[in-house]
Amino acid sequence: MPIISIKDVSKLYGFGDATTVALDEVSIDVEAGEFVAVMGPSGSGKSTLMNIIGLLDRPTHGEYMLSNRYVSKLRSNQRAKMRRDKIGFVFQSFNLLPKLTVLDNVALPLMYRGVSTVKRLQRAEDVLDRVGLKDRQYFMPKALSGGQVQRAAIARALVGDPQIIIADEPTGNLDSASSLIVMELLSELHRTGNTIIMVTHNPEITRYADRVVYMHDGCIVHDQRTPVGEVPALAKKAMYVYPRKTEEDDLAGVSAMMDFRPEKPSTKKRKAKAQAKRRKAAKAKRSADA
Amino acid sequence: MHSGNFKVAYKTIRESRWQSSLTMFGIVVGIVSVVTIVSLGQGIKKQIIGEIKSVGSDLITVRAGKGVKRDTNGNIQKINPDFVYGFGSGTLNDRDVAIVEGSAGVKDATPIRLLNGSVIADGREYADGFVLGTNPSLPNLLQQKIEYGSYFSTGETARQVAVIGKTVAEQLFQENVPLGQVITIRGQDYIVRGVFEKFTSNPLGQGIDLNQAIFVPAPSLKEIAGTAAPVIRVLARPQNPNNAGNLASQISNSIKESHGGQDDTTVLLQSENLQVTSSVLDKLTGFIAAIAAISLVVGGIGIMNIMLVSVSERTREIGVRKAVGATNRQIRNQFMAEAIVLSVLGGVIGIFASFVVNFLIKVTTDLSPVITWPVVVIAAVVSISVGIIFGTIPAIKAARKDPIDALRVGN
Ligand SMILES: Nc1ncnc2c1ncn2[C@@H]1O[C@H](COP(=O)(O)OP(=O)(O)OP(=O)(O)O)[C@@H](O)[C@H]1O
Ligand SMILES: [Mg+2]
Repeated sequence: MPIISIKDVSKLYGFGDATTVALDEVSIDVEAGEFVAVMGPSGSGKSTLMNIIGLLDRPTHGEYMLSNRYVSKLRSNQRAKMRRDKIGFVFQSFNLLPKLTVLDNVALPLMYRGVSTVKRLQRAEDVLDRVGLKDRQYFMPKALSGGQVQRAAIARALVGDPQIIIADEPTGNLDSASSLIVMELLSELHRTGNTIIMVTHNPEITRYADRVVYMHDGCIVHDQRTPVGEVPALAKKAMYVYPRKTEEDDLAGVSAMMDFRPEKPSTKKRKAKAQAKRRKAAKAKRSADA
Repeated sequence: MHSGNFKVAYKTIRESRWQSSLTMFGIVVGIVSVVTIVSLGQGIKKQIIGEIKSVGSDLITVRAGKGVKRDTNGNIQKINPDFVYGFGSGTLNDRDVAIVEGSAGVKDATPIRLLNGSVIADGREYADGFVLGTNPSLPNLLQQKIEYGSYFSTGETARQVAVIGKTVAEQLFQENVPLGQVITIRGQDYIVRGVFEKFTSNPLGQGIDLNQAIFVPAPSLKEIAGTAAPVIRVLARPQNPNNAGNLASQISNSIKESHGGQDDTTVLLQSENLQVTSSVLDKLTGFIAAIAAISLVVGGIGIMNIMLVSVSERTREIGVRKAVGATNRQIRNQFMAEAIVLSVLGGVIGIFASFVVNFLIKVTTDLSPVITWPVVVIAAVVSISVGIIFGTIPAIKAARKDPIDALRVGN
């Protein structure tokens, strides 16, 4: 029985002509204990999928079953409680609350479960020990390095013993040395039986996963199991696809992707349309960033 | 809501001290103004009541006009505020005076004639005072002692002699014992034969300072001024103090009868004067306090404003908290707790500051404000309510934030 079972899930933003298809009838099952890496170009819907799996968001259509419970129709309160009890999040940035100590940050999920102060600080200290940050527990987040922040975020994700850890580009802001430490930590968690779903742009990092999922324009275009320790060929190839800096690169990347990805014939037309829209959005985003 | 919320809230507030102090300032000012105004009112009331009592509660005052409404038992139901301050309007006639003086059971009685306008002494004009024409029994009726000289006696009522208040002595003659000096009233010379001790109360009405009065025999004043010096009060004291109530209604009835059944005069006991005065003062204090209470509302809006800013500044924080499992209610409670802590802190500081202001007023002025506990408690309750009421909207706004939007901000 898969711990996550997603069937034909779509997520639409906006309406009318301005509709963005962030997820397009995605189906995926994840078994307990898997370490899934999710790759795909910017805007392909990776974060959207993570948010839906992590119960931060609701699918527009489709069914989502999380540990044998239909959750796609849950109200925000029930989602919050399931999220609290079953999910641990690690984001790319702004993980820790800047005004709380590392220890208080890590203990935060337990506070919302109503665990007593003494117990939750005890437990937070234990997980901080596990991620090697015990001596930093009373620091404020701004006194930590990027890698340490991510490790603290992982500790916070772990503190409530979640069934699933969702990491959206956890190494996105880290140098390679820090990335290595963070990934070794996640890998260690995987070995001890945790289920991890991680978004990454870095193909090297897929070596820690035992399954790699490729997304494109809101669809899962490829899904493969790989032995831990190996970087799959497809991911390596994708290395030349990202990161894209200019519109030309963007186009080249997309066409490269289109060359090798197994095509779903029926959706070809719609994809092309969505692609055009996405490019426009990406361009707008870049100019907004600049 | 559990105590953890308040701890977290307290921490958050401490960390943004500047912002929080500004927020609390509104509440502090509100409480200080309400408490100070009410306690000033209480202090003045206490002082005035003390003064009115000092004259003796059996003093009967008769004046023109209908100042109070009584129920069937003769208890005062409604009061005309004109009756508290100043001389008031309307005059009594000689028959009224005769009725009071002739009533059985009256020990002493005097009309009070009032002549406004300046007097001259030593070629200097004195415009701040006023001339009162009375009978020799006035010092007795007001229980006021003469400091120098003596009041005029029954045999001197037609003579042009004057007894003056202390302020008149100081301002007109620049000396304490101006006995034998001459004051010219309406072209007539009056010889000063006495100076009153300082009046500490205003038995004729609030705002009437008898220290600025020149007292002359009523018949003589009538003679030189005529209708320019009308009778504005008749004062009387009963032989038996316990009989004051009966005597007052007896006088009232007789005057009514003589006025052909018209109920156009008011007879007040000093104890009723007390009631009249304090009710008007209470109303006044309440009114000013209500105006001051507006600043509490302004303080509340300040809290709301800061909380709203804080909610939008802390969008990311709300996103993270929701991502780790905070429910809408938990987020709402967190922000509510902040608003409550802010307003309670503001309340505590406000109460403390009120006592400080109270002390400063006592030291630097001759007012003596009285802080009463109900006022303090009410101010505290109001400040907390204000926090809750105005903290609610931002808290609900925070709770409703979509975690995804919250996490995306500035990403
Ligand atoms: N709130 C929203 N309103 C409108 N469009 C949205 C919204 N959120 C996401 N989208 C769109 O949905 C698509 C998928 O976005 P998503 O964030 O999932 O991409 P991603 O794969 O995580 O990209 P990246 O690698 O840059 O993080 C994008 O086209 C994005 O513009
Ligand atoms: Mg993303």
